[in-house]
Amino acid sequence: MSEQQHSGNQDSTHFGFKTVARDDKVSLVANVFHSVAAKYDVMNDLMSLGIHRLWKRFTIDCSGVRPGQKVLDLAGGTGDLTALFSRRVGPTGQVVLADINESMLNVGKDKLRDLGLVNNISYVQANAEALPFADNSFDIITIAFGLRNVTDKDAALRSMFRVLKPGGRLLVLEFSKPTEAWLSKVYDVYSFKLLPAMGQLVANDRESYQYLAESIRMHPDQETLKQMMEQAGFSETSYHNLTGGIVALHRGYKF
Amino acid sequence: MLKLLWPGLLCTLGEKVLNPLISMDPDALMRLQRLQGKQLAVCLRGIDIRLVLTAQPNGIWLNSHQEAVDCAVETEFSALQQLSDPSQLTRLIRENKLQIDGDLQTLQQFSQFFQQLNPDWQEKLSALLGDAVAHKTARAIVALQQGIRNYLQQADQTIQELAQDELRLTPVAAEVQQFSREVSTLAGRTELLQRQLAGLLPQLQASS
Repeated sequence: MSEQQHSGNQDSTHFGFKTVARDDKVSLVANVFHSVAAKYDVMNDLMSLGIHRLWKRFTIDCSGVRPGQKVLDLAGGTGDLTALFSRRVGPTGQVVLADINESMLNVGKDKLRDLGLVNNISYVQANAEALPFADNSFDIITIAFGLRNVTDKDAALRSMFRVLKPGGRLLVLEFSKPTEAWLSKVYDVYSFKLLPAMGQLVANDRESYQYLAESIRMHPDQETLKQMMEQAGFSETSYHNLTGGIVALHRGYKF
Repeated sequence: MLKLLWPGLLCTLGEKVLNPLISMDPDALMRLQRLQGKQLAVCLRGIDIRLVLTAQPNGIWLNSHQEAVDCAVETEFSALQQLSDPSQLTRLIRENKLQIDGDLQTLQQFSQFFQQLNPDWQEKLSALLGDAVAHKTARAIVALQQGIRNYLQQADQTIQELAQDELRLTPVAAEVQQFSREVSTLAGRTELLQRQLAGLLPQLQASS
């Protein structure tokens, strides 16, 4: 199933549960992330009870990253994955932290500099749908909790396929569909009752966290995303359900 | 539900312990340069995890994956300590307690690095307790370590003497050697007898 089929007609798309014009989604998502950037890391730790760090660790493990490799951390936000990659690729490698949102990129830049990670990281403000890199540039591309915010996911996946080197791999870490019915019910209560309340309390921003919960529900499930990756050209695609499918890590190769 | 995630937790904790220790040894970062970019995988039998150590100028980073590395070691938990002694490697391989796949030098370099790791606890403590107290505490810890080591050596010796000389539960080294020699002699004589019998058998068959 393509993203267009998933989101309905060609001129509109979803923004959470709302249907909006495709051209408006970028600015609406941008507003959400401008709003949450400063408290992003605190909220991530609170909302996931710190488990997001283990999901990211698992992503690094599945990337098989080696010293000297070139990595693109797309929608990298505050740079958690970039920090993990930067230490592993070492001085002979390179990590590019790319995000469409300037506020998130600035928070990430400050955080990584405070960690002393400066030598092998570069920063690019870029739209995942039209990546400003040459063909076959990266050994690994990751996009963690970013794909669901992209307006045209198919275009983004094709763009990632283009800039990936032959033999390289894409890792998509994203919220998904819980595999157990009971977990799904608990997760619904948590997402729609507790999450916006936490957003209000900590970040003084209920709407952004309401959008977060809605956007997760609108995101393609595990099998659909796998098919979308295959349609974009990726081979040997597979996925791992993490924490009962609340999050899934998809992996695909370019051959 | 968290099955896939616990190796990540282990790696995180490992890094949190290991890298501060490395940073407390002023010479360690220089020694890391020699290992830079090398990857060693350690797989412990019985524990379903393969730890990959990646050496970089700023520390050693841990991962858990099945990808190709410079050297992969599969061993038993009990044999881990013996890996630090290069003279034991051949014996461990022969006894099937150790399996090495890849560059042996990488294993030796990592092993040497960990053996030489000597964190400067005194320096770290002095920031918290002051120079004098830190120095005395560090000396007390060294003395305690030495005392424990001596006590364990002594206990080992006492148990050995008790088992061998007093209770006669186990043989002494000389007795084991003597027994081994006698077994070898017996094996040689048995083999000789077997060959003689094999030579006599056709003659017996012919005469009957």
